[in-house]
Amino acid sequence: MSERAGGRPTGARVASGGHGASGRHGGASRSPEGMWPPVSRRRKAGNLVFWLLCALALALVIAPTLWLAVDIIGKAVGNWQWNVLVTRTDQLQGGLLQPLLGTLVIASGAILIASIVSILTGMYLSEYATGPLRSVLRGAYEVLAGIPSIVLGLVGYVTLVVGLHWGYGLLPAVLVLSVLAIPYITKATESSLAQVPTSYREGADALGLPPSWTMRRIVLKSAVPGIVTGVLIATAIIIGETAPLIYTSNFSDVNPSLAHVTHLAVPSLPYMVYYFSFLAQPIKHANILSADAALVLLVFVLVLILLGRVIVAWSRRHAE
Amino acid sequence: MSTQADPAQPAEAAGPVRGRVDQAVVTAPHAATAGPVALTTAGLTLGFGTRTILSDVCVDVRRGAVTALIGPTGSGKTTLLRTFNRMNDRVSGYHRKGDVLLDGRSIWHPGVEVMELRRRIGMLFQRPNPFPMSIMENVVAGARAHRLVGKAGMKDVAEKHLTAVGLWGAVKDRLKDSPFRLSGGQQQLLCLARALAVTPEVLLLDEPTSSLDPAATQAIEELVRTLVPDITVIIVTHNLAQALRVADRTIFLNQGRMVENGETRQLFEHPAEEETAHYVAGRFG
Ligand SMILES: Nc1ncnc2c1ncn2[C@@H]1O[C@H](COP(=O)(O)OP(=O)(O)OP(=O)(O)O)[C@@H](O)[C@H]1O
Ligand SMILES: [Mg+2]
Repeated sequence: MSERAGGRPTGARVASGGHGASGRHGGASRSPEGMWPPVSRRRKAGNLVFWLLCALALALVIAPTLWLAVDIIGKAVGNWQWNVLVTRTDQLQGGLLQPLLGTLVIASGAILIASIVSILTGMYLSEYATGPLRSVLRGAYEVLAGIPSIVLGLVGYVTLVVGLHWGYGLLPAVLVLSVLAIPYITKATESSLAQVPTSYREGADALGLPPSWTMRRIVLKSAVPGIVTGVLIATAIIIGETAPLIYTSNFSDVNPSLAHVTHLAVPSLPYMVYYFSFLAQPIKHANILSADAALVLLVFVLVLILLGRVIVAWSRRHAE
Repeated sequence: MSTQADPAQPAEAAGPVRGRVDQAVVTAPHAATAGPVALTTAGLTLGFGTRTILSDVCVDVRRGAVTALIGPTGSGKTTLLRTFNRMNDRVSGYHRKGDVLLDGRSIWHPGVEVMELRRRIGMLFQRPNPFPMSIMENVVAGARAHRLVGKAGMKDVAEKHLTAVGLWGAVKDRLKDSPFRLSGGQQQLLCLARALAVTPEVLLLDEPTSSLDPAATQAIEELVRTLVPDITVIIVTHNLAQALRVADRTIFLNQGRMVENGETRQLFEHPAEEETAHYVAGRFG
């Protein structure tokens, strides 16, 4: 069990404070305060250097994030008009309506497919698979997580767009993005299931309750917050993916249509960020739309991550 | 107290249970002691991987009595107990020789359904383990899944079994609440109510009071006495005084061997085996 709980991506109940507390006890029980030898100068200098390195590392992480957010918000907010959300894109003019719809449809489709596949895979890995088979399967999705998205996009292009003659469209985009999301949701599912206390399962077994009952009423119920958080994080990750879309959905100014899932290029916000940017287009209004699209994506991601946080906090409060 | 009928056992269940008594005696002729036998182990040898945990254990457990299972740490008490309801079956590396008979029939007989076996042989763990659902749902969970009660009868069943374990007064206004806000002793009583609600014939208790205070311990002990003779009880305990208080019969296990099996007073006061005398004396100082 504990070996499986190792690298949980969601961090749901992992930092429950046990380690901090035991650490303090260890320190206090060693010897009374006065017995400690004075801290040497060298040790103090070492501590200071280490502290500075940590602060520097933190700054390196935070600075680009802040800079990025400020830059995007600064570019977009100055020219922001709410009606871009409902105005159609027309060539390089207009609003964000079709790309917004396209992103929503592509992301929902991808997450729907990925969730079904991943939750079943996670359940299988955690509850049924044993021995080498489990190691192989787990290794497989961990490798999948490491494949660059642009490579997945290329594979999608070669196999689906060209190989199956689907052309650019909704379906290849949805499939490739769902492959991208699968490792995250599978990992979240598997580790959430592994967190469910054995005492629940034993209690149910001892009552002669069938495994399906235990799964439905106990295991899944306890694991749902972790799984949902995993789904939200995966959504946040794929919603901004651009590279796979270049190869699969491409871009157009039509509305996405479920009647034409192939052979109809579908617009999307990430593609718009890239395609309408000042790098690609010397037109002022297009550049503003690019910034607007970036802002909308940023808001999506923030909302998804916040939602994940809220669910974790809520489930922790209601856990016991 | 032992005359009080246990409300968990419906009247009609008493008939077939008694009916099986003679059958048990007939089909388990190697039962060493006289009297109705509920559970018998025949040359039970069992281990995990290369280790042997129980060797050639032969014991009889009397129907309608409380049997204490005592022995030093690691002697295999929990392993033996978990074998009775086949909880060890899926442990990796598990292997077994010999047999366990319930009413004269092997619990591994292909015709025995493990779910039904576990309904008939209930278990209470060392630490209370209520399910993460409301108090009421906890009590009726097993009974509902085994279709012993419909949706309409849930409240009655919950009341009946919570009353039987003496918890009704404390929880009747919070049936929809989480069980985790109950005290440890109350949680253990709740688990007992949950186990009784599936009308078991045998109840396995693995150190049920080791995480409880003296008052809660006493409550459980008194309750155990009210379960017999309708239910056969096997209780693992490190507390020899507890064995003396609740058990009619006692089995002493040491290093996976059954050393002595007899009437509790007899075993404590006039043990037949040197080992038993040593253990019992050591424990009392
Ligand atoms: N799943 C398992 N795999 C391997 N060995 C096991 C397993 N379960 C128990 N054992 C071993 O079997 C022996 C008996 O364990 P058991 O839990 O039955 O002892 P016990 O008499 O209940 O002890 P205690 O009084 O401490 O609860 C121990 O040495 C233990 O390490
Ligand atoms: Mg034990």
